[in-house]
Amino acid sequence: MASRPEFDSIVVGGGFFGCSLAVHLRRDLGQRVVLFERGDELMQRASYANQARVHNGYHYPRSLLTALRCRVNFPRFVADYSECIVGDLEKYYAVGRTFSKTTAAQFRQFCERVGAPIKPAPAAIKKLFDGDLVEDVFSVHELVFDSVLLKQRVLRDLHEHGVDVRLSTELASVRSSDDGALEGTFAGPAASGTLTSTALYNCTYSRLNGLLAASGLPLIHLKHELTEMPLVEVPDEIRGKGFTMMCGPFFSLMPFPPRGLYTLSHVRYTPHAEWSDQPGQPWRDPYAILAGVERHSNFPHMIRDVSRYMPCLRACRQVDSIWEVKTVLPKSEVDDSRPVLYRENCGLPNLTCMLGAKIDNIYDVLEVVDGARPSPAVPARS
Amino acid sequence: MASSDCFASVVAPLSNDADIVRAFVTDVIAVLKANYENYEVVLVDDGSTDATASLVSAMLAEERCLRLIRLSRRFGRDIAISAGLDSVIGDFVVVLIPESDPPALIPEFIEKCRRGAGIVYGIRARRPAEPLYLSIGTRLFYWYFNRIVGVDLPRNSTDFRAYSRQSVNAITRIKDRLRYLRTFGGYVGFGGEPFVYEPRSRRARTRGRAFGEAVGLAINMTVANSTQPLRVVSLGGLALSLLSGLHLIYVLLTRLLDPNTVAGWTTQQAYVSAMFTFLFLMLATLCEYMGRLLGEIKDRPLYFVLEERTSAVLLVDEHRKNVVADPD
Repeated sequence: MASRPEFDSIVVGGGFFGCSLAVHLRRDLGQRVVLFERGDELMQRASYANQARVHNGYHYPRSLLTALRCRVNFPRFVADYSECIVGDLEKYYAVGRTFSKTTAAQFRQFCERVGAPIKPAPAAIKKLFDGDLVEDVFSVHELVFDSVLLKQRVLRDLHEHGVDVRLSTELASVRSSDDGALEGTFAGPAASGTLTSTALYNCTYSRLNGLLAASGLPLIHLKHELTEMPLVEVPDEIRGKGFTMMCGPFFSLMPFPPRGLYTLSHVRYTPHAEWSDQPGQPWRDPYAILAGVERHSNFPHMIRDVSRYMPCLRACRQVDSIWEVKTVLPKSEVDDSRPVLYRENCGLPNLTCMLGAKIDNIYDVLEVVDGARPSPAVPARS
Repeated sequence: MASSDCFASVVAPLSNDADIVRAFVTDVIAVLKANYENYEVVLVDDGSTDATASLVSAMLAEERCLRLIRLSRRFGRDIAISAGLDSVIGDFVVVLIPESDPPALIPEFIEKCRRGAGIVYGIRARRPAEPLYLSIGTRLFYWYFNRIVGVDLPRNSTDFRAYSRQSVNAITRIKDRLRYLRTFGGYVGFGGEPFVYEPRSRRARTRGRAFGEAVGLAINMTVANSTQPLRVVSLGGLALSLLSGLHLIYVLLTRLLDPNTVAGWTTQQAYVSAMFTFLFLMLATLCEYMGRLLGEIKDRPLYFVLEERTSAVLLVDEHRKNVVADPD
């Protein structure tokens, strides 16, 4: 007789996706869940090092589906995590005159089509832009979250619902045991060993292929970018506002609440290097690449380009830079869409790999998880 | 050499340059790396039909700070350079032609710019050997252009140029469809300085300009920069109109004073002279209005500001007391 696995689900990766999934499985489905995080704190990587934007569709004039999903998820996320949202952000989208893949008229029409609120920006804001390079500026409704508040909220949820969280512990590999369950091998300062579970969810973002490689499973084709987002102090007239230039080799300036600064990201200068994971090729640890790279800031490039469009930004002062690995699906290079990766039975039965690009994608993921509950472990014939 | 803290941008138009592009880019980047902390190289592919674009694309994976802009078809060298100028971010921008301009001179061009020149323009040390008619034609053109048209076009100037950020911003605001960047330099001002150098060809045989092409270029540059030929036509029209008017008076006087005038001659002559008087007058008027129209259509900025200064004198007399005797 096969014994019942110790857990219903193992969740690997303590980012926002892993944590939210663990809470969902525990709270809504009553499962026995264990969460592994190799770092000593939760939500320290991509869940922290991003522009903290709650997308409302504006970003994707070239992918209607992504824009519409944003429109659906935006109110949900804002309602569910209201205490983590930073209020009173004035957000403006500007459309470039040359080198832009969309025109002001097209952008406006796109927003109206997906139902995203849009109106002309006030004259005082338009004056901040160079009229020769910028076709038009719009006032829109987009928000930012405070990633530290979001982390506190997620910690509270995990604690409240009694999810077994193991910090500084890496789930190194996984294999199918004889009785059809999954057996994970973990190692950490507190304890090492193996445990069994019916299902395993791999939510490790840029290290998604690490677990697969260590378990001798085929890799998933993923593209990684080594990115730099300078943290800057902005001039007074910019405070409390966010700006995004559409839609080409442009930039975005957003508040970064945890540090009271602003993040500057630039399509051309934020990515420093790129590489990909390919099936059949050896896996390279993205964190090792990140740690080994020479950090030569692109801020001088960014600020020169940005101040051509908004001369007042010349006064921005760089305080720091956030360096992180950003992982995207190769598909989105072509059409700018941001689909969520959700692959079941990834080399082993009930091993699921997922990768989201935006914080509010979590709802898409949870819906898919609910639709595809793992089949109970089938005992091997004795 | 010490690395300079300014940001250097290089723009180079490419047109079927597959045979030389790799060596050119390698040279440029080596020079920039040795001299500048921050730099970028923007290559503008002007609708090449050979392997130029794919060769550069391959280099993007090897070199930092290299950018490629591909135009959808061939637009011509000046428009390709304009596309580059629209996109560069540097404090100083050097434009050079891969075939002829030596990258090793980039730091010297920029240094001149740093010392205050708005635009530093390259001057060929000597013209390549060319047939007599071309050399006479060129002399004639430069004389006409500088003296009669009145736009400053330095003799033997090339496309090898360095621009300050301020002059790039001025030039990119000119939206003329017929673009000759060499003449824009004189138009925007900001102080130009020549830089004499010896062009070196990367090819065994340089790609020269055919005679027909040179004449076409001369006509286009004149038309693009001046309504002076229209003014010549309009003045000629006025003179001819005056002549016709005089003829009319002569005809009428002859009819009155000479009893032997053949019947019908006066009517015919008077008719023709009157018509030509009006015709040339109308032509002259039309030419003048057309000239104004051309100027308005171009919609160039009225002026460019070099700098704005404010008086630094203390406005308040230190010894004057803020006390009044008469409260009214």
